[in-house]
Amino acid sequence: MTDVILGAPMVDELGHPFVSALLGLIVITLVMTVAVMYGTWIERKVVARIQQRLGPTRTGPLGLLQPIADTVKLLTKEDLRPATADRITFEAAVFAIFVPAFLAFVVVPFTADWVIAPLPLSLVYLLAISGLSFIGFLMAGWGSDSKYAFLGGMRAAAQLISYEIPLILAMVGVVMIVASADVYDIILYQDKVPLIVWQPLGFFIFLVASIAELERQPFDIPTGESEVAGGVFIEYSGIRWSMFQLTSYVNMYVLSLLGAFVFLGGWEWPFGRDIGWGYQLLLTVVKMGLFVVFYLQVRATFPRIRIDQMMSYAWKVLIPFALVQIFLNGLVLVYDLPDVTLLITSGLATAAMVWVVYQSVRMTPREPLQMVSVPARSTV
Amino acid sequence: MLGILKSLGMTARAALRKPVTIEYPEFHREIANRDRAFPILIWDFEVDEPYCTGCHACERACPVECMTVVMKDNPKHASGESKRRKIIDEFWIDYGRCMRCNICVEVCNFEAIGMNNTWAGHELSRYDRSDLVMDLDMLLAQSKEKKVEPGLRA
Amino acid sequence: MVVEDRELEVIDMPINMGPQHPSTHGVFRMVLIVDGEKVVDVTPHIGYMHRGGEKLMEAMDYRQGIGYADRTEYLAQFSAELCYCMAVERLMDIEVPERAEYIRVILTELNRLSSHFMFMGAFGIDAGLFGTSFTYAFREREYLQDIFEEVSGDRLMYAYFRVGGLAWEVPDNFTQRVHETLKKTQQGIRDIDDLMTKNEIFMARCQNIGSFTAEQAIAYGLSGPMLRASGVPFDLRKDEPYSVYDRFSFAIPVGRYGDVYDRYLVRLEEMRQSVAIVEQALEQMPPDGPIVPEKMPRRLRTPPAEVYAKVEAPRGEWGVYLVSKGGDKPYRLKMRSPSFCNLSGLREMTIGQLLADAVVILGSMDIVLCDVDR
Repeated sequence: MTDVILGAPMVDELGHPFVSALLGLIVITLVMTVAVMYGTWIERKVVARIQQRLGPTRTGPLGLLQPIADTVKLLTKEDLRPATADRITFEAAVFAIFVPAFLAFVVVPFTADWVIAPLPLSLVYLLAISGLSFIGFLMAGWGSDSKYAFLGGMRAAAQLISYEIPLILAMVGVVMIVASADVYDIILYQDKVPLIVWQPLGFFIFLVASIAELERQPFDIPTGESEVAGGVFIEYSGIRWSMFQLTSYVNMYVLSLLGAFVFLGGWEWPFGRDIGWGYQLLLTVVKMGLFVVFYLQVRATFPRIRIDQMMSYAWKVLIPFALVQIFLNGLVLVYDLPDVTLLITSGLATAAMVWVVYQSVRMTPREPLQMVSVPARSTV
Repeated sequence: MLGILKSLGMTARAALRKPVTIEYPEFHREIANRDRAFPILIWDFEVDEPYCTGCHACERACPVECMTVVMKDNPKHASGESKRRKIIDEFWIDYGRCMRCNICVEVCNFEAIGMNNTWAGHELSRYDRSDLVMDLDMLLAQSKEKKVEPGLRA
Repeated sequence: MVVEDRELEVIDMPINMGPQHPSTHGVFRMVLIVDGEKVVDVTPHIGYMHRGGEKLMEAMDYRQGIGYADRTEYLAQFSAELCYCMAVERLMDIEVPERAEYIRVILTELNRLSSHFMFMGAFGIDAGLFGTSFTYAFREREYLQDIFEEVSGDRLMYAYFRVGGLAWEVPDNFTQRVHETLKKTQQGIRDIDDLMTKNEIFMARCQNIGSFTAEQAIAYGLSGPMLRASGVPFDLRKDEPYSVYDRFSFAIPVGRYGDVYDRYLVRLEEMRQSVAIVEQALEQMPPDGPIVPEKMPRRLRTPPAEVYAKVEAPRGEWGVYLVSKGGDKPYRLKMRSPSFCNLSGLREMTIGQLLADAVVILGSMDIVLCDVDR
């Protein structure tokens, strides 16, 4: 599929593309803000169910007004700034993180006809934009003039940069197969079989790298609650802090959408393009929801990885195996092997990666506990 | 990898169980019969006076010295209605100091004091700490209205 | 602009994990000097919770003091009460009736279960879990606290043991309720086991961290699960049995490597052994009998003497050194607290580890701040 379809913007009876795009942007921003607020509600409910308790229940029926209550509280809080903080860096850091996250929605095709700006290189644009956010973390860490924030900022920068690479390499593998860097084309390619079948290793690497990009458990060292007590965001309060939190959820939605489009088939699989925009939107939301629930479950289940283990995992395991995936893709494409070879080789490589991780963690064989059961000595 | 999958399976299973939350204040958990909330005095319905004679036994035995007891001559004894020579005049317990150890109940010779085992004994929030000092009427109130039957009276 | 060429001064950064901790161990202050991520020095500061408990107990007679022993070790209350009562009983030469001994053992072992559940919950949070282990552990603690409430009347500060036996008789359905509770809490042990033990991230986080060899452990005076995890098979219930512990057959889990993971495994296994002890005790318990000896003096006066009594509390060896000069109040009461002695090894264990490990090591010690500061 090489013909690029200029997706018609949502409000096209206006005729003027600039105004239509602007309207689309406004709608997306509003909808996404509300969606992100209710993302916090979903998170609290899902994590609470995993922990066998109820989430918010009192504010409104089923706690549905809880995000609104949180927003009102954060809006009315005093905006503190440490006296010794570097003013410009401190205040601009929030925007440096917040803006790129929303910019990513410009190229996301929610259904077959709803794209604000259909770029021929939309995947490159998405990955580049989401890679900008680490500057904001560094600025926040440096500008706060606090030891904890500084530590958190350094850790955040190291983590984000390291895990960008496997993420991009997994996408490179997909681009090689589809022969196009447009998200729209990748979705159209998957009309028979979703790409997760051909690229299980790429999917796995994408999954792990995306959790690290989002800074969620088990990779949430920059915002490590028990050690550096909030890390980079420790000096922010009120609306600025809430912008950081919302950005985390916006990023989660962006990466979930990316995963749903690239690996699960988006709105194309399994029913094709002719079912109307309602069902397409529903499919998109459902597939995105699967990713979101997975991220939430992982958050509630795993402890935190230490920073050096995390770094070695990225550089010694994920990147080599991502390169292996690219190599395998290249072999299949050059020698024109049937598609099923991709599945077999990629699946074997996934198994190899799992085995490598298994071996490295259990490298030193541990003998189990000894159970000493001597009879008690008689009482003195 | 297997351990990670096991943990994920465990949380997935836990998400399907019924939550164990009891939504207070609409629902209250059932408390045991022997629950020791705070001490209250018992009313003698046959003679229509408290059992307590003001003998100071509990006041002496209290580890934190939270009680103050004043006794007086019983007017009902002179008229022959009651067998108690002395009766309690004033009784203060500082619920803020009480450590709910049950020693006052154990040493009482007349079984006049018991531990409140209802929710009313636990729901005692006040805005001012000095409002937690209970006097004789407050201590007798629950027993007079037949709302409580203390568990352990040993 | 000309920049002078100065020698860059490199200092190690002091990080203060202040008295208000996000990790749930109470008011404890730790000043870590870190070089990048590696810990170079640790200075613990304690004393934030000192309330003069030992001095207060000099004004309490032997029944009033039981509530204070509760409040010192507030997660293993029955162990503290048992030790205190044992000390006075040894001084006064009182023999506790058999049924009372069995009930004491049952309640103490159930308390060990609930204390180790608290450890599992808090340890998961230290390792970075978002609170899942905490809710599973506290769900089980609620069942145990329910049965303690039915027996003694209170959910946390029981004050149920007395010198010579128990304060009052257990309710009629005690045996059946204990059986029910045991069955329910085993679900909790399985949950926590599934969640944490074989999790690769957890293992990578806990293995080979904060190791102590057996010689170091004995030199620092550690006791309890920390000592047993380092390979020393020492348990007071077996080596110097008190109460009726010599009638039960149970095993002592002993680790090999002395690191954080071994301490966690030792405590998990101890929970299973406690369940076995409670089941044996329920079978062996005489169905009726007195709970205080017949010739029980009304006022407890001890002869002028000294005694040291110790029990195997969930955290280690909890001891009471009682000096009496006659009369019904102690002259001097010292509580040997295992958390305080275990904490002395913190510096040696933490130096050389990374910053994230310091929190995990502190969590693995399972300290109770009221016990450290008394």
